Amino acid sequence: MAWYSRLFTAQEGRKPGLTTSQQQSIDAWHELPAADLRRSHYRTRYVVVDVETTVIGGDADRLVSLGALAVVDGLIDFKDVFQACLANESADGEAASDGRPQIETARIAAVDAMLAFLRFAGKAPLISFHASFAAQQVDRAMGECLGVALRQPWIDLAWVMSDLFRDVGDDSQGGLDGWLAHFDIESIKRHDVVSDAYATAKLLQITIARAARKGFDSPSSLLDLEKARRHLHQSG
Amino acid sequence: MSNSATEMLVSATITFLRGYPPFDRMEAEALRFLVEHVKLAHYPKGARILASEMGVARTLHIVQRGKVRAKPGGGAGNAEHSAVTLGPGQCFSIGALMAQQPSSTAYVAREDVFCYELPADEFFSLTQRSTVFNLFCTQYIAGLLDQSQQQLQLQFAQRATEQKTMNSPLSAIVKREPVAVAPETSIRQVVELMASRHLGSMVVVDSAQQPIGIFTLSDVLKRIVLPGVSLEQTIASVMSPAPLTLPLAANAHDAALTMAMHAVRHVLAVDEGGRLKGVVSERDLFKLQGGGLRQIRHSIDSAGSIEVLRHAREDVRQLSLTMLTEGVGGQEITQFISTLNDTVTRRIIELNLDRHDLYGIDWAWLSFGSEGRDEQTFTTDQDNGIVYLLTDLMDREQTQLRFLEFARDVNDDLDKCGFPLCKGNIMASNPDLCLTLEEWEERFARWVRTPEPQALLNATIFFDFRPLYGRFNLAHRLRLSLFRQTQGNPLFLRMLAQNALGVAPPLGRIRDFVTGADPEHPGTIDVKKYGVRLFTDAARVFALARQVEATNTVSRLKRAGALMNIARDDLAASIEGFNFLQLLRLRHQHFEQEHGRAGDNLIRPDELNEIERRILKEAFRQARKLQARLKLDYQL
Repeated sequence: MAWYSRLFTAQEGRKPGLTTSQQQSIDAWHELPAADLRRSHYRTRYVVVDVETTVIGGDADRLVSLGALAVVDGLIDFKDVFQACLANESADGEAASDGRPQIETARIAAVDAMLAFLRFAGKAPLISFHASFAAQQVDRAMGECLGVALRQPWIDLAWVMSDLFRDVGDDSQGGLDGWLAHFDIESIKRHDVVSDAYATAKLLQITIARAARKGFDSPSSLLDLEKARRHLHQSG
Repeated sequence: MSNSATEMLVSATITFLRGYPPFDRMEAEALRFLVEHVKLAHYPKGARILASEMGVARTLHIVQRGKVRAKPGGGAGNAEHSAVTLGPGQCFSIGALMAQQPSSTAYVAREDVFCYELPADEFFSLTQRSTVFNLFCTQYIAGLLDQSQQQLQLQFAQRATEQKTMNSPLSAIVKREPVAVAPETSIRQVVELMASRHLGSMVVVDSAQQPIGIFTLSDVLKRIVLPGVSLEQTIASVMSPAPLTLPLAANAHDAALTMAMHAVRHVLAVDEGGRLKGVVSERDLFKLQGGGLRQIRHSIDSAGSIEVLRHAREDVRQLSLTMLTEGVGGQEITQFISTLNDTVTRRIIELNLDRHDLYGIDWAWLSFGSEGRDEQTFTTDQDNGIVYLLTDLMDREQTQLRFLEFARDVNDDLDKCGFPLCKGNIMASNPDLCLTLEEWEERFARWVRTPEPQALLNATIFFDFRPLYGRFNLAHRLRLSLFRQTQGNPLFLRMLAQNALGVAPPLGRIRDFVTGADPEHPGTIDVKKYGVRLFTDAARVFALARQVEATNTVSRLKRAGALMNIARDDLAASIEGFNFLQLLRLRHQHFEQEHGRAGDNLIRPDELNEIERRILKEAFRQARKLQARLKLDYQL
């Protein structure tokens, strides 16, 4: 995989074309201590991520926008929210108003956006519904724009929930929409990254409450749960 | 952090809250402030969201989704009955937050619940930013007061029905063990027994405890004294044989009917074996009917003897009790008791005037202290005095002696009618309190000029004087002269204010209430000494400083408060606090007396329910506010 090989170069060398202050931001992120994944959910900062991509399919898909929302100590704070647009789909081909090629403008915007996300996410464990897809998109953009590989784990709510809520019937088969319907969670604007991240964050709140009750009381225990579930599913 | 993302969530939340009161009316800026400072929390089914064990309430919860069950904690019984379910848009617990104390209501998630949570600091900030929200919270607290009164009524309702209806069985009406004698008992023994036990009638029973005759007080005259029957004869020879009996299960109506049909005043209640279980008198039935105010007044006004007044006084007690059960407020009840006690006192004075000739002298009977303030409770002793005018033709010594003799008789009669003699001898029969107008004026002037501790103490009792009988204008003149003195001696009011600040409301820094003031009764608060008196003392200073003639604390607060530019709402809150303390006292005294104890004023905050505790705390805060005003006015 092409993006995977870039990870190593990114870690060792530095991505050319970044300003000093941008590079300093990246260095600052590297300096951050890793999150302690054994602490309780209610003493953890989770970052719930939702992505929107171009709909070409396969590897050619590119991140269009990114929404994220923190769940800190079990609480959602409307001020602890992130949103970024990486590309303007409607404007392809045409030159931007400042005369620079449109692609260059987009690259600068993407670098700023990914830097901002890096600052927002820190080293908090990342949560997503169908995390592998989101992780793939975010990691690629991180690598391409900043030459950075996120080191914190992604936790896939789809897997975790299907294990914790085995009692839930058909709704569990309906993906994100199914779960939202089951728990009667309204979307402000479905398919908007922030709105979806918000809805997902509420699912996370429900999930950690259930998990804690069953003895899975930390991010690492959710990771274990996900791993076991995947294993069971794949072997079964 | 992203502004547009935050904006999206904030405006969605604003839209949501706009669907519910009080947010639908809330100022846009305040609502935005609220939403920008909330965090969203989730509680799984069964989780305790807020409860007393979590300590002082630190956040306002607004339900976003799901149902929350609010279950009043502590207190007595039917918690299931009083549980309330809260849904989206509803807040809790404003009461606990405002009072900054733990919520004794437990809030439990009935399903998955999402709540917006606003920290206490922002909550208080919001009450300042938003008049709508402030009003909402204030009304909420006021609502608690209503609830408390409803609870009071509920608490008494059962007893009231037991007491009041004519449908109650005789078993519920007969209270004390019947006293009965054997037929061969001598008349002397029977009469002695009746006298020593204050019995109006005596039942004669056979060896099987079945009544065979009855002998009443009125029989003494007709059957013993007039015919000159020997006291050594047996009671059987003079009793009325075959007394009327009714089974215990018969009701008061049956008893009334039986009495009317046979023109008797007593009916005997017997069990299935025909054994005597109690005596029901006409009086008992009268009490059941709860003889209305007018009847009682009428019976007092036409009373020809102290004996009748003694019963009337008992009726006053009974009726004020009924008022308590009907949820009448503390102010009305204390005023009612005072008014009827006044009537009783006036009648006693009138009866005594027949025997004492005070014709031609201008005089007035004064009441002091709580009686002077129209604030009597169930337990009250006498506080009275006499003021009279001495003309050149009269000899002072002689005149005073006449008044003292008269006063002694009145004081004794009052004592017989349930107004115990004053331990401190604050009574008209005390030569120090039976004075001419000039002497009273001189005495008041001395206290005002030299406000030493005793003088200040006297001021708190005697300056609340009120005329009860005689020439009321003497009291008016005395009041005007008092005002002249107090206006001319600003130091006195300052000292009186300082005196009023001597006791602080028993509000704790850590615990809600300070209950350790009395080492002999730990866990209690004397609501008279540490509550009611704080209000009366402050109101007295206000009234004297503004020359308000009223002596009643509520009237003083209202009238002086208006002159002092105290906001109407603040004034109403103070009065509400005062009345609540009075109501607590009345209720407590009533319970104490029902259990055969002398009514004291020691309340146990632990035994109050949450709402009452909260209001009690608020009442003490109101007292503190009045004291703060005194400090400000007199720079203390």
